[in-house]
Amino acid sequence: MAFTEGFISELVGRRATINDLPIGRVSDFLVNRPDAAFPQIDGLIIKTAQGPRFAPVDTIQDVDRGGTVALTAAPKEAAPPERDSLYLIADLLDKQIVDVDGRKVVRINDIEVANTGGQLRVVAADVGVSGLLRRLGLKSFGKKFAPAIYRAVPRAMIAWSSVSPIRDFNPTEIRLSVSESKLSRLHPSELAEIIGDLSTPQAAALVRSLDDETAADAFEHLDADTQKTLIDDIGTARAADIVEEMDSDDAADLLAELSDEQQSQLLAEMSEYTAGELRELVKYAEDSAGGLMTTDYVWIYPHRTAEATIRKIREIAPTSEFIYYLYVLDAKDALLGVLTLRALLLAPPTATIDTIMETDLVTLEPGASAEDVAATIARYDLLAAPVTDQHGQLLGIVTVDDAIDAIMPEELARKLPRFTAHRPHRRPAAAG
Amino acid sequence: MAGPRRRSITRTLLILMGVLGPGFIAASAGNDVGGIATYSSAGAQYGYSILWVLLPLAVALIVVQEMATRMGTVTGKGLASLIRENFGVRISFFAMLAFFFVNIAITATEFVGIAAASEIFHVSRYIAVPLAVVAVFLFVVRFDNKIVERTFVGFSLIYLSYVVSAVLAHPDWHAVARGTFVPSIRIHDNVWIFMVVALIGTTISPYMQFFLQSAVVEKDPREADLPLARADVVIGSVLGIAIAGFMIIANAATIYLANRHGAHLNPSQAADFAVALRPLAGQFAATIFALGILNAGLFTATVLPLSTAYVICEAFGFEAAVDRTFREAPVFFILFGAGLLIGAAIVLIPGIPYLPLIIGAQAVQGILLPFELLLMLAIANRASVMGRYVNSPTVNVIAWITTIIVGGFSLFYLVELAITTFHPG
Repeated sequence: MAFTEGFISELVGRRATINDLPIGRVSDFLVNRPDAAFPQIDGLIIKTAQGPRFAPVDTIQDVDRGGTVALTAAPKEAAPPERDSLYLIADLLDKQIVDVDGRKVVRINDIEVANTGGQLRVVAADVGVSGLLRRLGLKSFGKKFAPAIYRAVPRAMIAWSSVSPIRDFNPTEIRLSVSESKLSRLHPSELAEIIGDLSTPQAAALVRSLDDETAADAFEHLDADTQKTLIDDIGTARAADIVEEMDSDDAADLLAELSDEQQSQLLAEMSEYTAGELRELVKYAEDSAGGLMTTDYVWIYPHRTAEATIRKIREIAPTSEFIYYLYVLDAKDALLGVLTLRALLLAPPTATIDTIMETDLVTLEPGASAEDVAATIARYDLLAAPVTDQHGQLLGIVTVDDAIDAIMPEELARKLPRFTAHRPHRRPAAAG
Repeated sequence: MAGPRRRSITRTLLILMGVLGPGFIAASAGNDVGGIATYSSAGAQYGYSILWVLLPLAVALIVVQEMATRMGTVTGKGLASLIRENFGVRISFFAMLAFFFVNIAITATEFVGIAAASEIFHVSRYIAVPLAVVAVFLFVVRFDNKIVERTFVGFSLIYLSYVVSAVLAHPDWHAVARGTFVPSIRIHDNVWIFMVVALIGTTISPYMQFFLQSAVVEKDPREADLPLARADVVIGSVLGIAIAGFMIIANAATIYLANRHGAHLNPSQAADFAVALRPLAGQFAATIFALGILNAGLFTATVLPLSTAYVICEAFGFEAAVDRTFREAPVFFILFGAGLLIGAAIVLIPGIPYLPLIIGAQAVQGILLPFELLLMLAIANRASVMGRYVNSPTVNVIAWITTIIVGGFSLFYLVELAITTFHPG
């Protein structure tokens, strides 16, 4: 073959000839082993008057004889492709691929093929502006002006060895056509970022192609919403395998985000031991002081006067649900004392907070059980109890409502009116 | 933190709000400056007799947006991606080129709204428009998109003032009903046809399908959520059309009638448009009108150039995200900047006529719509893309009728325009 290298956008549509007699036009390129680093092209699809025909690669005399593709034998009826094979035009051109080295999702504008020792191989994906210009038929324009644009678009050509195509067979069956070995070169956080860039079906296909351990590492870097969607898509059996490989605290967090039904389905698919361990962890996370607390509390400075503090609270109270206890914090968020709204209102206007606050504090550890939390709140007749870490820093508060809810049977709890509205994502409000 | 039982309630609510989002937002964003101006001037020029156009438009809007929603749900891809993957570089290029320039024109109309509003408050547009550009830039770069979006959508409740004003204007409801249900076609009136093309273009904006589908993909719904998403589309479209109807009625009952009785209200002056809100707001009509178009203009000017840049980058595989640096995503930032700045600059051309610019941009949208519909129809009927969710025969029939009628109106208008241009009189 005189042909050395070229782009499929220039080869497609060329006249195919036998003994210089035209028989049709090249419409696609078949690759049976897309897993290879630089996969070999196994044949051409020729569009003839009788319909599509398949020309195996050994019947190709030359792909570039005076602008035509010369064949030695008449192409056959198109054979049904093997399961793993790909059509370069139908399956890859214009589609998204994962650029493993550039660590991002890009779109294939063109595909470069080359003649290496008599074999036609796929060597690179063109993802740059020059490829777009070539497809638009603006090659000369591209040669003239593209260099300037070229510099602004780095790595316009990606070697095929670091390309991972995603093939949409049809909307219900999408899978990655290239083995996961290329993807496992990536750092889990990069893999997670790529997963986030893909459409959900594509992301699920990618996760399916990974081994459990790699998938688990990537999962630990995904946000809860993406995790949930992916679990829906890849099915509980596979998801359970992946979650089992995750760090237990990440796995517990993930499980806590799922619906009860999904959670028990996943746990049922896991080994007895892991499931038991995770069940404990999930329960701990949910029904402990740490799981029950809210960060929607009001904190104040110790050295302000009562009058100034009241003025400040009047400003911020409308946005804050629980203002009946005010938490006095130092500059390092350490809890110095608590002041009830009543004590604040009754104090002389000029008194500073540190002289009127309660310093004999009842605090909870984040790991305290819901029962302990409720018991503490009940014993001291509190409306809320602060949760602190071992350094005395305030982590959040558990209100009496949440404590009761946590220990009360479901049916009863649902019928009760609430004392404070439930807004778990609020930040602490500073009245200081 | 929520316990298991409460989570199930919150989750349901979130899912509802999540899915009941895109169609709703698309509908309220559809009433942008171009929408307000077009519906208002339709009512002011033709009275109730043009109301009937909205009925077939509502059906077409629902069908088109349902297609976009279904395509997004089934494929998980945006419309630009689907066009690129199914039709290749050339068609994508021309589609995106048209998309870019039309959206610049629409961005310009949003700044016209901002300029007109500022002039009602006696602020020069040479001050207001640059300020608005800065505001848009800050909204995009600095603030949480969701919050900005919710705020604007919240403010768009101001459109409800048209509903109240229309009722308080005591329109002749018989005439309203006749105008709504008895079609009157003025086939030889080129201005009327132009108005209808503009009404089509502003109601079924081509860009809206791109945004709706992207928003749907963002929400990541399952195919099982489709009934809910369809309900969202129907509710959003009906609400949007209803508000459009009340805008026409409010204008017909005030400006159109007053002019029939010898007044000389000139709706190419923004302040005269505000007359339609007088039954409700009296002397504050101009203020409310100005706030309405200011909000609409700022909202769309914030969303449009940004989304346009996203969509084009999606089609061609360029890096696109606000949190990237210019070096990482140069094409994205150039497209965004160009869209915003050119759009704003057009409004600063001295003596540029506001109303013709706005209505003209809507008409261009109407002319481009059939091409977009053809692409959508082709994709939505491909089993290799949509699986068993290909268009139903009913959807196909309605979508084809829409495409042909819209295309017919556009062609008819262009032919008449050519005739009047080359053989005046």
